[in-house]
Amino acid sequence: MKRLFLALAALILAAHAHAHKASDAYVTLRVDGATVDARIDIALRDLDRDLDLDTDADDQLSWKEVRTRWADIAALARTDIRLSADGARCTPEAADAPALTQHSDGTYAVLRMQWQCMAPVQQLGVDYRIFATTDPTHRGIARVARADASTLQLAVLSPGKGWHRFRLPALPVAATASAAAADAPAPVAQPEADTAAAEDAPPWSFPGFVREGVHHILIGYDHILFLLSLLLPAVWTRSAVTDPRTGVTRTRWLPARNLRLALTNVLKVVTAFTVAHSITLALSVLDIVNPPSRWVESIIAASVVLAALNNIWPVISEARWKLTFVFGLVHGFGFASALKDAGLAKGALVGPLVGFNVGVEIGQLCIVALVLPVAWSLRGTRTYRGAFAGGSLAIAGVAGLWLVQRAFDLSLIAG
Amino acid sequence: MTIVAATRLALALLVGAAAPAFAAEESALQFPARDDAIVEHLPSHVGDAAERRAARAAERAQRDALQRHPDELGLALQAAHDALARGRLRGDPRELGVAQAALAPWWTRADAPPEVRLVRATVLQSQHEFNAALVELDAVLARPDVALPVRAQAELTRAGVQQVLGHFAEADAGCRRLVGADYFALGASVRQNGLACIAELASLQGHADTAAATLARLAGAPDAGSVAPGAPGWLALMRAELAQRRGDPSAGALFAAALKANPDVYTQCAYADWLLDEHRAADVVALLKGNEAADPVLLRVALAYRQLHGRDSPLTRDAAAMLGDRYDAALLRGDRSHGREQSRFELDLRGDTRAALALAQSNWHVQHEPADEVVLAHAARAARRDDAAEPLWQFLRETGGRDARLAVGGPNATPFLPAPATSPALQAARRSTP
Repeated sequence: MKRLFLALAALILAAHAHAHKASDAYVTLRVDGATVDARIDIALRDLDRDLDLDTDADDQLSWKEVRTRWADIAALARTDIRLSADGARCTPEAADAPALTQHSDGTYAVLRMQWQCMAPVQQLGVDYRIFATTDPTHRGIARVARADASTLQLAVLSPGKGWHRFRLPALPVAATASAAAADAPAPVAQPEADTAAAEDAPPWSFPGFVREGVHHILIGYDHILFLLSLLLPAVWTRSAVTDPRTGVTRTRWLPARNLRLALTNVLKVVTAFTVAHSITLALSVLDIVNPPSRWVESIIAASVVLAALNNIWPVISEARWKLTFVFGLVHGFGFASALKDAGLAKGALVGPLVGFNVGVEIGQLCIVALVLPVAWSLRGTRTYRGAFAGGSLAIAGVAGLWLVQRAFDLSLIAG
Repeated sequence: MTIVAATRLALALLVGAAAPAFAAEESALQFPARDDAIVEHLPSHVGDAAERRAARAAERAQRDALQRHPDELGLALQAAHDALARGRLRGDPRELGVAQAALAPWWTRADAPPEVRLVRATVLQSQHEFNAALVELDAVLARPDVALPVRAQAELTRAGVQQVLGHFAEADAGCRRLVGADYFALGASVRQNGLACIAELASLQGHADTAAATLARLAGAPDAGSVAPGAPGWLALMRAELAQRRGDPSAGALFAAALKANPDVYTQCAYADWLLDEHRAADVVALLKGNEAADPVLLRVALAYRQLHGRDSPLTRDAAAMLGDRYDAALLRGDRSHGREQSRFELDLRGDTRAALALAQSNWHVQHEPADEVVLAHAARAARRDDAAEPLWQFLRETGGRDARLAVGGPNATPFLPAPATSPALQAARRSTP
């Protein structure tokens, strides 16, 4: 009882609060294909507690005391840090030569080692158990990135709290932040079970890529103008008109009478554009075809010029979807570079690809939904005819400037 | 749970900001050339080589025994208490984790034994999780079957937490229970704790002179300024801090006595703060040199260097840079319990008055110790934001507290005199304290 009250006296003082740097380890994981390069900095003070490094008990550690126990230190890291790639366990390899470093609160052992995974890593699982049974307030400050330093993610790992997943295909910025903030891994006992969980929670953010697709088409004036050029004449039909006075027959644009026919026109154009750009988008993202972007951008500009001029001097009028298809192929390469800019890494491609494409289609349908009703209701008016001709000319003019600046790498106007 | 949430929030905010900090974390590798090179100094054990070896062996034996019998509560509690004691001595928060690890089989259980909940409360309050600590303590005190010594300890710890939070009436009620009939069977030492606790609370509510006399009497000293040999170190520390608040120069001798009895990091830093106020920076360096592993020690050393050599001297800058790295590391793991000290760091070492004020304000939001008052007052004054210190003046008006260090012009100037409290309830509450 007496003993307790010695502690009691101290307790009242303990309430006068002080805080200090706690035990942290610094875990840097660089993912390069199927290889994970790790650098793990663990405080010598912590290692001494668990491994009793100070063999001569002089309250200081000599280099020899650390160096000769390196195998034990490496074994601790190998046992207490487990990695899985997309659900399959990765295998740790031998650690590099012993090294030390200084952090703000003392000397740390630096373990440099590699894990080999079965396949290129899309989602890295980390099961962190360092000091789980000896100091649960210890934390692993983890920094996970691809070898090129892209997709950097941070997490504070609590030991023994199960698998923490790092989603490695790069995401649109907003999605990255939320992925890194979500530090609550599903408690999975075995990494094999990990696979199912990984499929439940896709490593990339589908909505993020859909948003990216919508965004891209809505800020991509060249795509909008291309669509507009194709949509403007959809509410008209090209008909042969015979002048009753002269008897000369000419083909002219006339307001369509049949809404269904007009809608079919629109549908054909939009579908052709979708199918075409999906093909090249996929080819480019999958790295099968990768045309130089200057050519792609120039041809996209040219496609807008031609589509607009085709309205005024029709070369192809009935089967505009064919024209759309051909140029849609080029626009697909343009979308691909936008998707790559959004940070798509090689790997989990299909999801982001579909997501992005869905976004593009949504954006496209928004434009159709805005333009078509107006065009339909005004189709018989002089205003529309004027806007049609003037608009097409204007579009051709703007796109012509784009063509020049993209082909010759000048900066004339924004776009 | 709140820690997890706060950590997540901090992480989300840090995703961008922390990246450069992390680049710096990739610190240079070292490959010592000689086997006998000393690469790290461990927390030192007391005594000569043989005693140190024995102490180390005892720690190891305790850990091994616990590993073999992890379910033995007595063994686990002993290991936890030893860890907490080491933590207090060295100012090392790792020991809180060691205490937690020792009690792992009971730690997360709602029906944990009261002794375990008491340790849990101590760990939580050391992590500045004051409300969570109170939940544990209230649970211990709510059980009628808890052993009296455990109850007494819970009562005292609870009073301490309430005092840190500025809930003086709650704290006072707890201290009064300790001197009451309930704990009479436990004898004089509990009574002494209770009386000292009541006196300290009174000193924080405008009765500093009588409190000083009471504490001197409890310490067995013939007068307020002298130190009785054999008096407990914590009582000397309590008296030293009170003397410091009163601007009484006897604080120095009392701090020295407290430190002699109890050379822990808290006492070292408290003494160092007094020495810094007295412009005795050389003494601070002599006192603390070699213990910079603890963050609060490093802060005082850096402040002493600043006093001795100026803010831009290499010594000051190196110490400040290292301290900044440690605060960054703490922020990275979501630990925001450094506010009081970090505010001083920003104000006195980095000269960032805005950051200092923000930290002092968020710290004041949580805890209301005299040192928190000083930090907020200084930060507000430096930022020329009198309004920011208003909650502090309000608190002092309500409690009747005074502190020489809050005086305009430094610790030796005229003490700040708070306006008289207007609330009759408060007046009545104050009359009830001795």
